[in-house]
Amino acid sequence: MSVKRKGPKATMVRVATYGVLVLVAIVVLFPFVVAVTTSLKDNNDIFSYPPSLVPEQASTVPAAQLGLDGDPLPTFTLPDRDGTFALVGRDVPIAEFRPLDDLERVIALDPAAGEKTGATIVIDGDEEDVFLIDVDGDTIEAYRSRLTSGGEFVNVDDPTDVAIGLVNLAVPAEEFGPRPANFTEVWTDKELGRSLSNTVLVTFAVVIGQLVTSILGGYAFARIDFKGRNGLFLMYLGSVMVPFVVLIIPLFQLMLQVGWLDNLAALIIPFIFTAYGTFLMRQFFVGIPKEIEEAALLDNASRSTILWKIMVPLARPAIATLATFGFLYAWNSFFWPLVIINSGNPEGRVLALTLSTLGGRSSTDINLVFAGAVIAMTPPILVFLFAQRYFVENSASSGLK
Amino acid sequence: MGEASAIALSGDAPDATRAERRPDTPAEAFRRTATLLSIWHVIGAAASVVGMLLASRGGDQELPWMPRYALQGFFVFAFAVNLAAAYGIRTTARWARPASLVVNYLLAVVAGSTTLHQFNAFRALGDLGEGLFKAFVPFLVICVGLIAVLVAGQLAADDPTAPVPRTLRRIGLGIAAVAGVWFVILADPTGMISSIGDTLTKPLAFGALAITIGAALACRAMWSRDAARHFGTTRATEDTLSGLAFLSPNLIGFLVFFAFPLLFSLWVSFFDWKTTNTGREFIGLDNYVRALSLDISGADAAGAGNEVLKPGYQVLMHMDWFGQNWVLGARDIEFWLSLRNIVVFLVLAVPLAVLPALGLSSILASKLPGMKVFRAIYFIPSVAGVIGVAIVWGQMFDATIGWINYLLDVVGVSEAGQGQAWLSERSTALLSMVIVFAWMNFGFNTVLYLAGHQGIPKELYEAAEIDGANTWQVFKRITVPQLRNTTFYVLVTTSILALQLFDIVWILSRPEPGGPNNATSTPVLTLYEEAFQNNSQGYASALAWILFLIIFGFTFFQFRQQRDESTSGGVS
Repeated sequence: MSVKRKGPKATMVRVATYGVLVLVAIVVLFPFVVAVTTSLKDNNDIFSYPPSLVPEQASTVPAAQLGLDGDPLPTFTLPDRDGTFALVGRDVPIAEFRPLDDLERVIALDPAAGEKTGATIVIDGDEEDVFLIDVDGDTIEAYRSRLTSGGEFVNVDDPTDVAIGLVNLAVPAEEFGPRPANFTEVWTDKELGRSLSNTVLVTFAVVIGQLVTSILGGYAFARIDFKGRNGLFLMYLGSVMVPFVVLIIPLFQLMLQVGWLDNLAALIIPFIFTAYGTFLMRQFFVGIPKEIEEAALLDNASRSTILWKIMVPLARPAIATLATFGFLYAWNSFFWPLVIINSGNPEGRVLALTLSTLGGRSSTDINLVFAGAVIAMTPPILVFLFAQRYFVENSASSGLK
Repeated sequence: MGEASAIALSGDAPDATRAERRPDTPAEAFRRTATLLSIWHVIGAAASVVGMLLASRGGDQELPWMPRYALQGFFVFAFAVNLAAAYGIRTTARWARPASLVVNYLLAVVAGSTTLHQFNAFRALGDLGEGLFKAFVPFLVICVGLIAVLVAGQLAADDPTAPVPRTLRRIGLGIAAVAGVWFVILADPTGMISSIGDTLTKPLAFGALAITIGAALACRAMWSRDAARHFGTTRATEDTLSGLAFLSPNLIGFLVFFAFPLLFSLWVSFFDWKTTNTGREFIGLDNYVRALSLDISGADAAGAGNEVLKPGYQVLMHMDWFGQNWVLGARDIEFWLSLRNIVVFLVLAVPLAVLPALGLSSILASKLPGMKVFRAIYFIPSVAGVIGVAIVWGQMFDATIGWINYLLDVVGVSEAGQGQAWLSERSTALLSMVIVFAWMNFGFNTVLYLAGHQGIPKELYEAAEIDGANTWQVFKRITVPQLRNTTFYVLVTTSILALQLFDIVWILSRPEPGGPNNATSTPVLTLYEEAFQNNSQGYASALAWILFLIIFGFTFFQFRQQRDESTSGGVS
């Protein structure tokens, strides 16, 4: 639809078109943004409502700033007071007063504060004494709604300004505070880090293995006229139709009997043979003109020389495509590792598997799970972005899923 | 090499240069090799007998039946063919060369695998993972170095005279080499070496190694042109040998890890088969009967339960047809519930993953600037990896702190704190998975559609423009009909994918996969639970084959359609 029109209506159409595209793009990208920001959050922050895209941490001040010793102090904002206050004491006795002219307002004072007027007032059926209290220089009438305990605070900017307050001590003031340590912790974590290195190892081995077997097999199908070739090729083509679920149980039995349960070999060896990759390479080799080889044949070159010195360099695009598909397949695979790496031993796990177990087991490490998820998602996305050309062309022509 | 030697055989190519360098004529030289080869085949036959005895050992040395039968079968074959080859080589029979090559090749493969197994090479993969974990940073540096070498190669291919690629290549190799040393130091391979060292005392390991080397050398000798000439190999045989040789790494894997498991799966599905070797009983089609049995019964009241059904059947659903209440029951209620779920899922998820793709591809097919960027963005969810994606969506759907509820709250659809428990409520759990599935797959489908757009003749659009058709008319009258084949293909592939739904459910329906209360169980999940939690692998195999047949129905449908298109000259 490369129809080009001009005029204000066309402009509006164009704006609407981009509007739709951008909207869809936001829907697509938003979960990734959530993933990245969550992976930079503190564990408490992840469980706060409303959700936020900004990683926040409880803001603290160094104790030395207030002339004290010890750990950094969490800060709070107090009702009726400007500025930020650091919590210096807990369980301080506090009297909660409510002014008679505004019963919703809460004023926290020392229990000794206030002077009884002798008068009483009935609140919710209870008779309460009326006090005179000082608030910001004004004296107002109030009743003491309860005696409780709260925090003692010091103004961060003015250590002489001490206050007591009734605030939820579990909700300190927050400030922008990403926690990149999540990633380094994943890196060094025995479970996640080890499964990351396993994933890398398995992926490399599968990709290289697939390339070698597919190049050799694809060349045989494309260029060597051997007995049984067509029958075998049909079998290869047909095998693409068989869903992996059918093979899971017998492959599991096979791995069990060979002794490869919980072994990385079970994640590598069965997957370095790919009918699809063989087919892909065969299609590419068939498209290379035969004249190119004929000169080499006249020079008495062997078939393997022709393959590795002439055909393979020409087949770079197909090889890149196959490597990309192999990478994504191996890196993202989950079902097979779930079946085969089934003991509690994390040594053989791959990243997807560890993430799924960690994510389900507890929520205590959810920040690490998210950092791990981001680490798991980044390489395939990068590979896709760099190899997009091969990728998009080939998904379109072959429809591999 | 095949064709080249075939030329030599027919006498077209001069071979004099090679003969001059040697004291003997090639034919005489090979005669001695042939003697050695026939002796080797006698050794091979003897080794097959030893291998047969080793493979058939009992007691705690007993091999599990799969490798045992495979090895026994192989050694019977190897014994016979070795003897035949020895005889054939003595008599210079034409078939001796293929026979010798095949048996030596397979012997090398089997003995080689045994050697690796004996030397703990497969278990050493775990140590390799451990080493990689310890030395991940140098590993990344090695990768950087190798990428530089690759880039240099690409640059050199573009412009062979430029000096930059050569420098880049050297730098890359240098970095990789330094990092390689660093890697080895950090990875500390002493553990791996010592685990190999432990096996140095095993005679079997060395015997297997010797056989491997012998068989490989024999293959090499027999592969030579001299051998081809000696045995008078025809060009056709030569081609078949070459073809099989090139295909063999692939073909062996195909047979062992695809063809055999496929047949074995069918075999197992006729048994009451546990994971352990005990309790394996042939029960014919019983697994299939159990899985597929349904019972329908009329009921007086709408709320009738299992009691109106045959014993062993449970209520699947109630129906109200022609003023009469019917109760449909199934023997394996969980499988049928999962089938029902997957049908609902299919009906919801497939259109949601396909229709937006159709619309968006029509926009992206225009030549407006920036379309490639959008195309790339839409594709990302389908490559990002389902586990990471599902974890993020799990958080988004969270009832109390999730983004979905928060956004609904912000736009005023729901009240704060009254959020929908998306994943733990029966009515919305499957719908949540539909959303994740569609989100993951519509971008891929968009790209499939974009390919379809390339096949639409531009003249159609030009004609429509001349006729003054508006955008909607063009979309409806030209784009959609022209993309009919693509739509068919996209629908089928997406359906096949949806039928195998597993990973998303596994992550999102925790803590009880398939929950709440079976609302999101899928056939693959049921199969997994039967096979690996209930330990009934025979029944699970039957489920796998039923699922396979359903999926195959879709594939077959697709195949028929494509064939019809191509015979009628359509573009598919």
